[in-house]
Amino acid sequence: MNHIFEILGFILIVLTLLMQWQSYVRRTIFLFAASSFVIALFLVLLGLHHPREEYMLFVLAGLTIAVRGLTIPAILNRATHRLPDKPWRVREDKPLMGLSGSILVSLVLIAIGYFIYQNSLYSVLKVHAGSVPFALFLQASLLIITHKHAYIQMIGFLVMENAVVMLSGWVFSGLPFIVEMGVIMDLLGLVVVSSLIIRVREQAISQEGETFGSELRG
Amino acid sequence: MNQDIIYILPVLFSLLGALICIPKITYFDKAGSLIGSILSLASVVYLLFQPNLIDHYVYVDGFSKLLLLTIAIVYISTVLYSVFYLKHIENLLFQYRLYYFLLNVFSAAMFFSVTVDNLGLIWVGIEATTVSSALLIATENSQATVESAWRYVIIVSTGLVISLISVTFIYGSAHTLSLHQLLLSHPHNRVFLIGILLGIIGFGTKAGIFPMHTWLPDVHGKAPAPVSAIFSGVLLPVALYAIARLIQIFPSETIRLFAMILGILTVGIAALLLTVQVNYKRMYAYSSMENMGMILIGLSLGKLGLLGAVIIILSHGMAKSSVFFLSGDVLSVYHSTDIEKVKGLMQRMPRIGASLFMGSMAVTGAPPFGIFVGEFLIFSALIAQHGWLIALIVILLLAIAFISVNFRAGRMIFSHQEKPIKEKTHTETWVSIINLILSFLVILFIPYLELLLKNLL
Repeated sequence: MNHIFEILGFILIVLTLLMQWQSYVRRTIFLFAASSFVIALFLVLLGLHHPREEYMLFVLAGLTIAVRGLTIPAILNRATHRLPDKPWRVREDKPLMGLSGSILVSLVLIAIGYFIYQNSLYSVLKVHAGSVPFALFLQASLLIITHKHAYIQMIGFLVMENAVVMLSGWVFSGLPFIVEMGVIMDLLGLVVVSSLIIRVREQAISQEGETFGSELRG
Repeated sequence: MNQDIIYILPVLFSLLGALICIPKITYFDKAGSLIGSILSLASVVYLLFQPNLIDHYVYVDGFSKLLLLTIAIVYISTVLYSVFYLKHIENLLFQYRLYYFLLNVFSAAMFFSVTVDNLGLIWVGIEATTVSSALLIATENSQATVESAWRYVIIVSTGLVISLISVTFIYGSAHTLSLHQLLLSHPHNRVFLIGILLGIIGFGTKAGIFPMHTWLPDVHGKAPAPVSAIFSGVLLPVALYAIARLIQIFPSETIRLFAMILGILTVGIAALLLTVQVNYKRMYAYSSMENMGMILIGLSLGKLGLLGAVIIILSHGMAKSSVFFLSGDVLSVYHSTDIEKVKGLMQRMPRIGASLFMGSMAVTGAPPFGIFVGEFLIFSALIAQHGWLIALIVILLLAIAFISVNFRAGRMIFSHQEKPIKEKTHTETWVSIINLILSFLVILFIPYLELLLKNLL
């Protein structure tokens, strides 16, 4: 069974690498939906593997498909229709890192995720290939940092959330149901509010260019 | 469960306020918000005289009650100020009723976060404050405000994902997220320790703690004055409340030292950045960061340090909200947040000038305001536990912050302007003055605060 988990972990890492190289927003949304389905499959298999916790893991898998695999991609897709460009043409114009650079950095991050996990957490968590959620988390951070388009940054954040779902399901068999529901409600609210902010932001940038200059320096 | 309802009344009343804002009827938004905030404050004052309640649903002890009180006071003053102030905003992104609706939901989420017994639900409450407040930042429709709102969403949410990992680790090792059960069991293993450390970093992002503080000056610099006031006055302390509970659950030396180092670094970075500020709203934002650093140091020290931290939370909540309200008055007249462009404040608006001077002194820890007393208590604990050297470094950093803020505020207030036009008094200035007086009055209630916190001191 461990081999299947490792293969699914590998597929998730590859899907996130593809998001990194993809410049069209709609394709990135599709890849995010695909990765959510892989995580749901992972949770179902985990439920079959751990009969005592199967009920919770099956519920978690169902919620992952309904919210992360279908609803959130639908909201994001719908939101692309309200941007000044045609939905299929919404893209990242100037990624901060080229294709070869992003491949290299992604591979380094996967290695770092593995190294951190094996040397600090493996002895405590005792889960083989448990470095996958950590590698996903680091790759998602790279996705946010290297892209300026707000939708791709949002997807980077959602991949991070997916990594946490995978971690909590794999290592600790999920969180209490009421907390999972709260997390999902917050996530949906955040996607809706963010879609509105992103729409206003992208419209303003496409009409006026970036005008805030040195007003926002962090 | 019936008894629990009394303790969640502030949440229910602020949600009631939000519901009243929904119908598209003139004045319902303002009236609903006023009703919600007045009833919330009344219920919090009633709760102050009720016994602590700790069960499977709520965790309300003295610390929670004091945070509930701070939230309720800043909530009602923000609503009152907004009623008069919003007319100064020309290019609104949405209708007034959505603004008031979000303000009420935002307050309800903060009340919820400091009332529940479950660490996972505290996370849900704090994340709900992000959802409800993101649009409030962009109330004024300009590219810079929308950009700052977006940065807030992405940075704070990323930080909160780290705290969600923390919640996962804590649940994985303790098999419960109930605060009172965690306090009883005191689990001691490496997964739990890593969970608590991640929690301090994650929730620290929302509190403006170094190194993930970068959203704070951008948001405070661009949000409308009442939103900056409620963010600085109570949102940051609510995130620190979660950290306080984590330290309370696992009060090991490693955790305390880690929190103290983050607190000192936060004070240090804020103090240094304060020396180069040219925008008065960003300046007061860095001042908030410095205050949050001091509160974190106090929380990490416990006992006397904790009392000092709570005094700062109360006094800072009122004084900083007052200062941000006053900065809104200044902005509505001078139409600039540039310190250099604000001259002769005392000549043009004497009441606002004098209040801003007192407010700046209060937030930087000048006696006799509560922040001074809180910092004094924290220093006493710091010297007792870690010696003079660290205390001297922190005192030096606070001195830099004090001089930087008051020198710049003084330039705006006391500089001379040729032929100044005296402005009419703003009605909403009274809200700032009342908050400033309340910030001073905190010191009179210190024995009562000690009584409320006796289970923690």
